[in-house]
Amino acid sequence: MSIRLENVVKSFGDPPIEIIKNVSFNLADGEFVALTGKSGSGKSTLLYMISSLDNPSSGTVTLKDQNIAEMDQRALHRFRNQNMGFIFQYHYLLPEFTALENVLMPAIKAGIADAKRAEATALLKRFELENRMNNLPSQLSGGESQRVAIARALIMNPQYIFADEPTGSLDSANAINVMEIFKEVNRDTGCTIIYVTHDNDFAAMAQKQILLVDGQISAITVNKPNKKKQRA
Amino acid sequence: MCCGTNNDNKRRVPGSMIFIALRQLWARKRQTLLTLIGVMLGAAAYIAISGILLGFREYLLDQMVNNDSHVRISAKARLVEETSFDHIFTGKNESLFWIVPPSGRKDSQKIDNVQEWYQRLREDADVEAFAPQLNVTVLYRKGKVTQNGRVMGIVPAMQTRVALLEKNILKGTLRELAENGQKIMLGEGLRENLGLRFGDSITVVNSRGDRQQFKVSGSFSSGNKQVDETLSYVSLNTAQSIAGSPGQVTDIAVRLRDVRKSMAKAASWSNDESAKVQSWEQINSSMLDVFQVQDMTRYMMSAIILIVAGFGIYNILSIVISQKKREIAILRSIGYESTDILTIFMTQGMLLGFAGGLLGVLLGYFISWRLSLVTFSSPMIKAKTTTMMISFNYIIYVYGFIMALISTTVASFLPALKAGKMSPIDIIRGQE
Repeated sequence: MSIRLENVVKSFGDPPIEIIKNVSFNLADGEFVALTGKSGSGKSTLLYMISSLDNPSSGTVTLKDQNIAEMDQRALHRFRNQNMGFIFQYHYLLPEFTALENVLMPAIKAGIADAKRAEATALLKRFELENRMNNLPSQLSGGESQRVAIARALIMNPQYIFADEPTGSLDSANAINVMEIFKEVNRDTGCTIIYVTHDNDFAAMAQKQILLVDGQISAITVNKPNKKKQRA
Repeated sequence: MCCGTNNDNKRRVPGSMIFIALRQLWARKRQTLLTLIGVMLGAAAYIAISGILLGFREYLLDQMVNNDSHVRISAKARLVEETSFDHIFTGKNESLFWIVPPSGRKDSQKIDNVQEWYQRLREDADVEAFAPQLNVTVLYRKGKVTQNGRVMGIVPAMQTRVALLEKNILKGTLRELAENGQKIMLGEGLRENLGLRFGDSITVVNSRGDRQQFKVSGSFSSGNKQVDETLSYVSLNTAQSIAGSPGQVTDIAVRLRDVRKSMAKAASWSNDESAKVQSWEQINSSMLDVFQVQDMTRYMMSAIILIVAGFGIYNILSIVISQKKREIAILRSIGYESTDILTIFMTQGMLLGFAGGLLGVLLGYFISWRLSLVTFSSPMIKAKTTTMMISFNYIIYVYGFIMALISTTVASFLPALKAGKMSPIDIIRGQE
């Protein structure tokens, strides 16, 4: 299994209040998954634990057969850099850098920015941003910025993409566009995509929906598979 | 596009962090410029203040070391005490009992064993040159104008090897004094006060009232107003004639090959009871104490200036980091380590320190150069010193630059460390 959660609990505060209650599930490589639920149901908290940004209070999260809580910091950062892409509700592009440079940020960290430049350009072209490559984030619209953020998440060809409300700050046209890109990326590259949404229509676009209610899995729904390419 | 390619990321890429740091600095031009100006002014102020203080000090030290001797052997004032005549009127094991004990001071102040001293100095490898002197307190008289002062008897050929007197001479030569016993070289202030022209005659009266006529053959200016208004040079024989004491010597001025040995040398020679041996540091100890106070003031001022500059960087970086929390979070989530974030912000602080320090050095040099052209007059220093004495010693510039770099490095470390420790999830949750 690509991602395995076993009895994951997350609690906050004193006395501790459990936000995620004993959650367990497995995901295979290349799945396209939506974490859904009402506000406060714990979907973002669960996403951050799956994506290694947060540790569970108890239970284990295993990615590629590695317990991420037991990885040393350097190895974890390298793992994130090379295997994960993140997309948040807001794009969080670095305002001093052009769209192309923002896309290359993970590659800059890996020391392979020059080797990835052509790929970054191709990604931006694919997202219809070929004329905006040298623009600063302040010169881009919200939809364009979010597409740059998606390109940034894809530049290292990650095995996992985690997105927290990626359409939350976009108008409906741009939101649909972003979701189409996700579907296309999942189909073309075979990478696992897990995204948080409270929009039923966008959740329905996923191959699998995990519905959270009060920190517990209420239902796992499997939709029609998104025909995809086998990962190398 | 292909997924899942694992690139080996063992290679460290500090150059990339510097690229990010530089771009962020460039993006906030106004803040960068203001911080740069703060550091630059701090370093320049340190350099200019140090240049002024050390320039004045170097001048005074030069005066102390080169206008006088490195070590001065002078006659000790000998008081007459109860035991002074013990072995003169009595045998070795007997003592005198006085009804009224004697008091006072021996009539002439002189070094008793001058020839022994000459021999000792000639044989000492550390001694470059020495010169006997006789100082006589006199009254100068020209017509009805009188002024008290001091005549110094010198052997010109020897004296000029000990102290750089010739550079102070405005007119005439010291050699003339040796050639003609009735010639006198006056301090320029003394000559002006008495209204004398070169070639005029002057009467010198000793403490017993004996008078001698001299011809003014030249004048000098040492830079010290008090000296220039009281001192005159004659040949040693002439001074002995004025004092009425042939062969008398009150001082021997010694120049060493290495001025740094003056203290040790003075200590090793100070076993003679008839003579007092002092190094130039001991003679000018009060002035050297002033230098220490000056140093403390300078360091305190510099510390304050650089702390203020450092605080500027600390504040600006703290504000920038607080504004960039979300960007730090995204960088951390895409694999940037805490040391990378630390490097980015430390680099910004250190670059500001480096550039500000460098500009401060240039500005400090420019200010020092402009100040060195400013003319001024001091009641203490007259005639020759007409411009400010500024030190251009390279050490000042090195210190100024290093202090700017250190203060900005220290000031950037704390906010940069805080940024490095920020957890991406805490930033995303809004807890930092």
